[in-house]
Amino acid sequence: MLEIKDLHKRFGDTVALDGVSLTAAPGEVVGFVGANGAGKTTTMRIAMGVLAADSGRIVYNGAPLDVEARRRFGYMPSERGLYPKMKTAEQIAYFGELHGMSRAEAKRSAAALLEQLNLTERSGDFVQDLSLGNQQRVQLAVSLVHDPEALILDEPFSGLDPLAVDVMGTALKDRAAAGAPVIFSSHQLDLIERLCDSVVIIGNGTIIAAGSVEELKAKEVKQLRVSVQTAQDLSASLPGTVTRDGDDYLVEDADDQEVLRIAAAAGRVTHFAYDQPTIAEIFREAVTR
Amino acid sequence: MSAQTPETRAPETSRMRGLMLVAGREIRVRGLSKANLVSLIVTVVIVGVLAALPTILGGGDDEAEKIGLAGTNASAMEGQLNAMGGFDITMYDSADEAERAVEDGTVDTAVADGTLYSEENPDQSLQAQLDAAWQAATVQTNLADAGLSDAEIATALTPRPLETVTLAEGESDPVTSYFTGLVISIIMFMMLMTPVQYIAMGVVEEKSSRIVEILLTSLKPWQLLGGKVIGLGVISLVNLVAMVAVGLGVSAATGVLADLPPGTASAAVSTIGWWLIALVLFGTLAGGVGSLVSRQEESGSVLTPLIMSLTLSYIGAIFTLNAPTSTFAQVLSIVPPFSAITMPTRMAITTVPAWEIALSIALLVLAAAGALALGAQLYKRSVLYTGSRLKLTEALRRAA
Repeated sequence: MLEIKDLHKRFGDTVALDGVSLTAAPGEVVGFVGANGAGKTTTMRIAMGVLAADSGRIVYNGAPLDVEARRRFGYMPSERGLYPKMKTAEQIAYFGELHGMSRAEAKRSAAALLEQLNLTERSGDFVQDLSLGNQQRVQLAVSLVHDPEALILDEPFSGLDPLAVDVMGTALKDRAAAGAPVIFSSHQLDLIERLCDSVVIIGNGTIIAAGSVEELKAKEVKQLRVSVQTAQDLSASLPGTVTRDGDDYLVEDADDQEVLRIAAAAGRVTHFAYDQPTIAEIFREAVTR
Repeated sequence: MSAQTPETRAPETSRMRGLMLVAGREIRVRGLSKANLVSLIVTVVIVGVLAALPTILGGGDDEAEKIGLAGTNASAMEGQLNAMGGFDITMYDSADEAERAVEDGTVDTAVADGTLYSEENPDQSLQAQLDAAWQAATVQTNLADAGLSDAEIATALTPRPLETVTLAEGESDPVTSYFTGLVISIIMFMMLMTPVQYIAMGVVEEKSSRIVEILLTSLKPWQLLGGKVIGLGVISLVNLVAMVAVGLGVSAATGVLADLPPGTASAAVSTIGWWLIALVLFGTLAGGVGSLVSRQEESGSVLTPLIMSLTLSYIGAIFTLNAPTSTFAQVLSIVPPFSAITMPTRMAITTVPAWEIALSIALLVLAAAGALALGAQLYKRSVLYTGSRLKLTEALRRAA
């Protein structure tokens, strides 16, 4: 269990974080969403010990997160960085060793990741000679080389091609399935929706919404969408607030069973369900509120 | 979880391991880089050629000088020249024959009846030797004419040479000492300048590429900085050892080695000691100031004070060579950071009182400890800060 508790951080007069808390249970994939400048990167950097918080704590499996435990974490910072004049395989293996692997283990793991990322034939090339996309894949390999037991990834999908997105998505799911807590931020909300068990939305340094994907969707549900094959206009006869969306009726603040009865009386009901908002809609709603 | 096995390792070991991993990377990536290997090979070749140069240039000296002798004193001359060694002597019956032998090149030089025959002007050392032999031979002949026995003549001609008593112990030839001091100052300067620049470059590289953010999740700042200093120190030392080994190897092979002044080995060892302390001093400061900037172009400006003090130390050392007993030299060789280069240089050229050496070492070690603390603090506080250049005071005020 990785717990981020009540982080506060100021940069000069700017309040970057104002009591940010979030948790990731073992095996849970947490999506961290927020506008630019909302505090995602600051939170993650503090969690990884790269930045010191003014107050607040990071607790991992019940104990304060220290350097030794952090070494077993996988981290991808938002600003990507690699040694330009170091060979690809050598570089990935070096980071494996820094994370406590033996040289042989690190080499083996690096080779396996390069294979997975279709980069085997570039193993001996300098990183600076790779395309930007391939450098991103190397960056990904660097964060996964030591088989991390927890992942904190800042925008891991940005700049990745579809293949690398799949590899990354699979890697996150695999690590979570092995019991690792995973926190990642992204602006690609469709990916969040597909991969995450829960979502945390941050705005202006405070958490504005958090919960499992289902919970959040359920909380936002308001509209009942009804499709009826009829020549009549039911706008006036249906209870509650009724709006039209094409041929559909969107009903709010009404007893759904009564709506169904009236609709069924008017004609054949082809669609009758509450609209499930997408994470994108929830996010927009949460941020503008 | 499987990844937990490394945890069983003692933290102490992993701390050292982190330091060594960083140092190892520097050595692999920078030391084995094409640029370094090429420059090392070029330097080694130059050193090798320089070491072989005396032999190549003076190659003719090894060949015996062909001398023709005739006329008065010829046999006495032969005896003298044989005693000196290095001559290939041919005896002729007359001065004419000897002269002809010079003309047709059978011999290089001929001496007959008090005349020296030579195709061109004979070189000075040869002429001096022949002169000496001629005079000795003449004296010998005269003494024999005066009726002395061969034994009496031999005694008369071999006076006991002057015995040299050196009053100040260990004081060696001033020219050799000067040269040793010069070499020490140049090597110290080079061996500090290069790693200082590479350390700063390496720090800026990691900072500008933002890789430092990943590194610091598994390393402490001191490991990252210390590993760099160690790694570049090792590279410098290996480069130097390669140069010295080739230089000494070639010298030994060509037989010049015996000419090395006594005490060279001990001077080399003590110089390495001075260098190690100075490397900690300048290296950690270079890392600290390097972390103040985010772009490679800006690293020059923050390094200027360090480069300046290194250059001043070198100039001070050269001054010391020329006035080793002056107060200025005395002060400079005690005050850090100048003492790092000035003191070993001064020690090479003159006898320095033990208390001065001890004081100098103590102050330099103190300064190195201070630099280590300051450099590490600067580094820790500013390595993750990106943006425009940090002022020194800003960096120190920043929370780590």
